[in-house]
Amino acid sequence: MNILIVEDESRIAKRVERMTRDILGDNLTSLTHVDTLDKASTFIESPSLDLVLLDLNLNGDNGFDLLTTAVSGSFHTIVISANKDQAIAAFEYGVLDFVPKPFNRDRLEQALNRTLTKDKTGANEVKLLAIKKRGKVQLVPIENLLYVKGAGVYTELFLTDGTKELHDKSLEKLEQLLSHSFERIHKSYLVKMSVVKEIIVKSGSKYMAELKNGELIPIGRTKYKDIKAKWL
Amino acid sequence: MKSAPFFLLISILLLLSSCEQKPAIFKEHQTVFQIGDNPAWAKKIWNDSNWKRRINLIPEGEIFWSRTRIDILKAPEDFQSYVLQIDPYGEYEIFWDGVLIGKNGNPGKEAELPPEGELWVTYQIPTHLSAEGTHMLALRLSNYYFPDHVGYYEIEIADYEDLLTDLLVKTSYMHVFAGAFLIASIYFLFLFLNNRKEYPTLIFSACCFLICGLVLTVFSKDYVPIHYSVHVIRLQIINSFLLGISFLIPYYFSMQFPYPRRGLSLIIYAVVLISIWLVNGHAFDYKTVSMTLSMWCFSFAVVAHGAYKKIRGARLVLATLLLSMAVFLASGFVVSLYTGLGLILLGMLYLLTLNMKAQRLAYERSLVRSTRLRLELLKKNIQPHFLMNTLTSLIDWVEETPKKGVLFIEALAKEFDLFNQIEDQTLIPVAREIELCRTHLEIMGYRKEMQYTWEEVGIDPEQKIPPGILHTLLENGITHSLPQEDNNVRFKLIYVSDSNCKSYTFLTFAKELKKRSDNKEGTGLKYIKARLTESYQSNWELISEPADHGWKSVIKIYS
Repeated sequence: MNILIVEDESRIAKRVERMTRDILGDNLTSLTHVDTLDKASTFIESPSLDLVLLDLNLNGDNGFDLLTTAVSGSFHTIVISANKDQAIAAFEYGVLDFVPKPFNRDRLEQALNRTLTKDKTGANEVKLLAIKKRGKVQLVPIENLLYVKGAGVYTELFLTDGTKELHDKSLEKLEQLLSHSFERIHKSYLVKMSVVKEIIVKSGSKYMAELKNGELIPIGRTKYKDIKAKWL
Repeated sequence: MKSAPFFLLISILLLLSSCEQKPAIFKEHQTVFQIGDNPAWAKKIWNDSNWKRRINLIPEGEIFWSRTRIDILKAPEDFQSYVLQIDPYGEYEIFWDGVLIGKNGNPGKEAELPPEGELWVTYQIPTHLSAEGTHMLALRLSNYYFPDHVGYYEIEIADYEDLLTDLLVKTSYMHVFAGAFLIASIYFLFLFLNNRKEYPTLIFSACCFLICGLVLTVFSKDYVPIHYSVHVIRLQIINSFLLGISFLIPYYFSMQFPYPRRGLSLIIYAVVLISIWLVNGHAFDYKTVSMTLSMWCFSFAVVAHGAYKKIRGARLVLATLLLSMAVFLASGFVVSLYTGLGLILLGMLYLLTLNMKAQRLAYERSLVRSTRLRLELLKKNIQPHFLMNTLTSLIDWVEETPKKGVLFIEALAKEFDLFNQIEDQTLIPVAREIELCRTHLEIMGYRKEMQYTWEEVGIDPEQKIPPGILHTLLENGITHSLPQEDNNVRFKLIYVSDSNCKSYTFLTFAKELKKRSDNKEGTGLKYIKARLTESYQSNWELISEPADHGWKSVIKIYS
């Protein structure tokens, strides 16, 4: 794993660094610490980055500008912050976890485990997805999202107004964030279950989900049983 | 609430209009005069066709007679009796149809005897002489004290009961009126004594007192016996009260609605009033009307200017002035004088209450501001960004290097202690503030693992400054700076003072992180400005700007 720590408090950064090395052990490939947003932005561009541990109050700046940029990236973001009242908003932006300061080793381990075990956040509802569009970061409300299609390392977001947006996160990472209302019905598709009208069985044991707007999405043969058990 | 003054005005108007006129019961003919003394001149029938209508001067208290033919239009009813009310200058005997019905003093002997009798007297008209038809009122007088003031008097004949009732009603109403002004005068005097900067309250109090005095002097004539020789004194007192009122009311308005060249215009106005007061000897009615009209015109000009400038309350006062003029035009001078004064004073009172409200709000705002600043100071140490980051670092120090951790805890305890000592003060010695800054640097040193150095030049430790302002500059400096190559951030405080200015220059030597946004003023600077305003009103200046070495803030306090 490649990890970036963004933290302007030197002592705390060292603590996070020490604990992370300890927890991840051999799973850790590289670990970098930066103390300003400017320095962070060069690292964030790196495609091999897996996780950013982010302090929301860097040098007196409002952390949400930074957060928006971070969550649009291909990596997961875990916020480590002193301001607990920002936790709900942070989750809505699509962070994997929010670790309030002061924290101990156990709490940090719990957060890091989420990235390792592909644990689904579930309890916290993501309300916005940040996408990069013409060099700027835009926020798309989850309620406008119908389904997500995997496209290599990227994903395609299909929206209610018929448009399609690209997202930097992989289908696996989005599945982790959106698990409260979306279901992976196919290896390439993640669908919001509230927009599924019915499931059509076709000849040759082919299954399709018909959405309310008439679109048909294939259902994986192996997934059908789980979905039937969970949703029907 | 705003309609209350109007309600009062309308009530007063209704009260005045309710005094209805009764039908006349007598008719007065031309009074004629004759110098000399003849008992026969008292008779009902006597040829007075060669008597004079007017005599300008009767010197040395010589006896003279006056005869007035009076028609009684309606005889009194059974058990009812008529009285005659008369107020001539002089001592006299009074005859009705040849019968002596009263004596007031000693006509003809005034030079030898002391003054006797009073100016306003009523005489019973014998019932058998009050029949419908022509009657003769004859007076045998002498006028020793005002020999050039012969024969000016009013005659009133009325039912005895009615006359008493009318007098009682009029006098009691006017005394209630005077009493209200007396209470207002005392109340606002006390208000002034408790707040001696509020001159409008003093002037309002004086106006109320003068009006009370005016009303009492005018309406006490029916029960305070006054000899005709001293009546001029009463009139002079009345005019002096009016002089005071006529000056103070526009003066008050000029304070509430200021305009250019105020002093000069007030001096000119005072000269005009005093010359009206001094000239024309005994023409008291003329003086009264002139002074009152001058007062109205000047007040109107001042208030109209105020209304034009849209000063608060000016429109309502202008309305009361116009209303008082309307009353004057509709009902004549005497009624409008008291109604008008009442109206104008209500207008003044309204302005005073507006002022009081404004003062109360300003005071409440200052209280709220002080409380808010106190809370902001307290919050510095418990706001999560400071507290939680500090605690996280602290845990790490305790876990990794317990001995250093203890030193860290001690520094933290000291900062909390210092905050506790200053939190409820508006000014503290600068030495205390510097101690706070040094402790804060120690804490930040543990957190950021950086070298922070503090220098000071020319500090006078006894000088006082608002709490937390240097601390806030320091916090900003720490937040927005990166260390120089030697992992060091340096702060320097320089104090310079001269006769009219004390100046604190706060320098940060560091790599500036990035340009601090100028359009968005941080909460830190807002706090500093609010604290400076709280203690020095507008006599301060704050400059905060980038410098070659990092950042530079200057606080100037003017004396």
